[in-house]
Amino acid sequence: MATRHRFQVDGQPHTVMVDESGDRLAVTVDDAPPVEVDVTTSGIPGLFSIIRNGVPSRAYVAREGRNLRVVVDGRTFLLATAGGGRERGASGGASDPLGKITAPLAGVAVEIRVAVGDRIEPRQAVVVVEAMKMQNEVQAPHGGVVTVVHAQHGVRVEKGELLVEYAPDEA
Amino acid sequence: MIKRVLIANRGEIALRIQRTCRELGIETVAVYSDPDRNALHVRNADFAVRIGPGPALESYLVIDRIIEAARQTGADAIHPGYGFLSENARFVDACEEAGITFIGPTADAMRALGGKVSARRLMEAAGVPIVPGANDISADDFATAEREAARIGFPLMVKASAGGGGRGIRLVERPEDLQAAMRASGNEAASSFGDATIFLERYVSPARHIEVQIVADAHGNVRAFGERECSIQRRNQKLLEEAPSVAVTPEIRERLCAAAIAAAKSCGYRNAGTVEFLLDRNGEFYFLEVNARLQVEHPVTELVCGGVDLVALQIAVANGEMLPEGPSTVTPTGWAIECRINGEDPYANFAPSVGLIDFVDYPTGPGVRFDTMLYSGLDVPVFYDSLLGKLIVWAETRDRAIERMRRALRDLVISGVQTNVPFHLALFEHPDFLSGDVSTGWLESTFTMPAASEDDPRLDVALIAGALAAQIIATNAKDPASSGGSGGMTRWVQSARGIARRGLRIEGGTSGWRRGTASR
Repeated sequence: MATRHRFQVDGQPHTVMVDESGDRLAVTVDDAPPVEVDVTTSGIPGLFSIIRNGVPSRAYVAREGRNLRVVVDGRTFLLATAGGGRERGASGGASDPLGKITAPLAGVAVEIRVAVGDRIEPRQAVVVVEAMKMQNEVQAPHGGVVTVVHAQHGVRVEKGELLVEYAPDEA
Repeated sequence: MIKRVLIANRGEIALRIQRTCRELGIETVAVYSDPDRNALHVRNADFAVRIGPGPALESYLVIDRIIEAARQTGADAIHPGYGFLSENARFVDACEEAGITFIGPTADAMRALGGKVSARRLMEAAGVPIVPGANDISADDFATAEREAARIGFPLMVKASAGGGGRGIRLVERPEDLQAAMRASGNEAASSFGDATIFLERYVSPARHIEVQIVADAHGNVRAFGERECSIQRRNQKLLEEAPSVAVTPEIRERLCAAAIAAAKSCGYRNAGTVEFLLDRNGEFYFLEVNARLQVEHPVTELVCGGVDLVALQIAVANGEMLPEGPSTVTPTGWAIECRINGEDPYANFAPSVGLIDFVDYPTGPGVRFDTMLYSGLDVPVFYDSLLGKLIVWAETRDRAIERMRRALRDLVISGVQTNVPFHLALFEHPDFLSGDVSTGWLESTFTMPAASEDDPRLDVALIAGALAAQIIATNAKDPASSGGSGGMTRWVQSARGIARRGLRIEGGTSGWRRGTASR
């Protein structure tokens, strides 16, 4: 029985076919030929040990909402699934839905540069979020008029948290 | 004798100092801000005192609260670690007034070394090579400046005497540009500092950042523990350090160490410190500054100097003990490399990455040391710098140390934040780094991080693991209540579920993926 899994990684679509038949487990990644794998795991979240053609590799898999976060040799991949929401790292700025500005990273809102009623222009910095002693400007993706400011000075925000709402300009 | 030490710091360095104290039978007092309540340095201490909310300005930088915490717990000494209050002379004064031993240099030495021009004068008088230059020229005295510039040579830097924060600094490549640079620098200095006095300095480039670890006791003995190479920097932040340096011959080392000892003696320095130099291609070096504290990268020195414990030495000399017998200059044995493991995303221009650490697995084995604040379950606070830990290796040669570090970096698993480990792994592939042909500007001018989208064999592994995880999740969702029945699940999924439920991993077992065994 073959199952198809679709992921987006760094904006690129990938397909993995998992074929379980009898004792064998075969996977096909994108256009590569199928390969038999031997997998064990301690659960999810957990460490996956994968042996392909006699070569072991390991990955740590954790759930992040409906997406998966996978660490392999020091690199963290976010495997976005359909309906899994926006890819991590893509919140804030241009990827925000019209009318909302969210925090692109966790940190502390150290500067609130707009107030309700202010006009904002595209790419204007509206809030500064400081994390690990580095200041990061959060920019407006579109022009409009600010309707709600959720961010509070000196208060911690989580990644993806709503900072500012605005009435966008007519397209 | 010091019996109870308050450690006025957090993170890996607080743990580092605690470990030595505990080994020596000295009790430790931890201080913590609210977001650090759950930190390892709090758990491992004998006493712990809350000193305020998250921002360092309201906690780790508040002298009164730290002195009060020391009084309250009866600490007889304070170790400042690095950063925070470690080079604050007023803090040293406050310790003295409270009758508490400060494990570090005296306030006078800190003040003398703190000012750029005062330190320059001090070193010049002590015969320590400084960057050739000319002090105190009025910004409109072109005749003097041109005469001095001819002596110093081009390119040179025009700097504001009262300067700071990079203001009033101009690089001058050609003699005809000198006057314009002096006007610009003088104007900026006058408006920023109300003082249009400038000084000239030779522009030493390309240069390596080389520093010498010293420890001085209260009896006039100073020992130099060889050099550290710290040229791998990004935005003036060191990312990787080694000891020794490929560019330092025994002859250069002898001169460097002698200069560092002279620098320490020039101001009656006590305790551990680091004398920083620029080393040019001709083997000439120039004094930069003294870091009057223990440094982040001190472990590489410890590993190449026979395992000397610099924190233990700091405590000993703070107790008034003499340095142990030995030559004034320690010759390094083997090679050590330190990689700073930062919560930074190298694929997103090194943007900070914080979050809940859901899993960590540390490298071990011969020659590997990992000084870290991490544990599974730690929520990395957003208030402090991005250093999560320091991975340090030692081996007989540089090549072996590089191989060992590659291995250790691959063995390190940190889940929950993106770290700069991929940056280090990429650095260890670069021919310039492998040959050691780097300078302070090299990383930013020459090295490029491979793009996230480039072919990366790790992606295949991630996709396979992800697909299998999705499969397990889907099976669980279909049959959430299943406790014993196989219900159409393949056996490897069953074993994964069973293990997850028990929170255990299967050991031993038969061969094949279906039984959840470790290998075939």
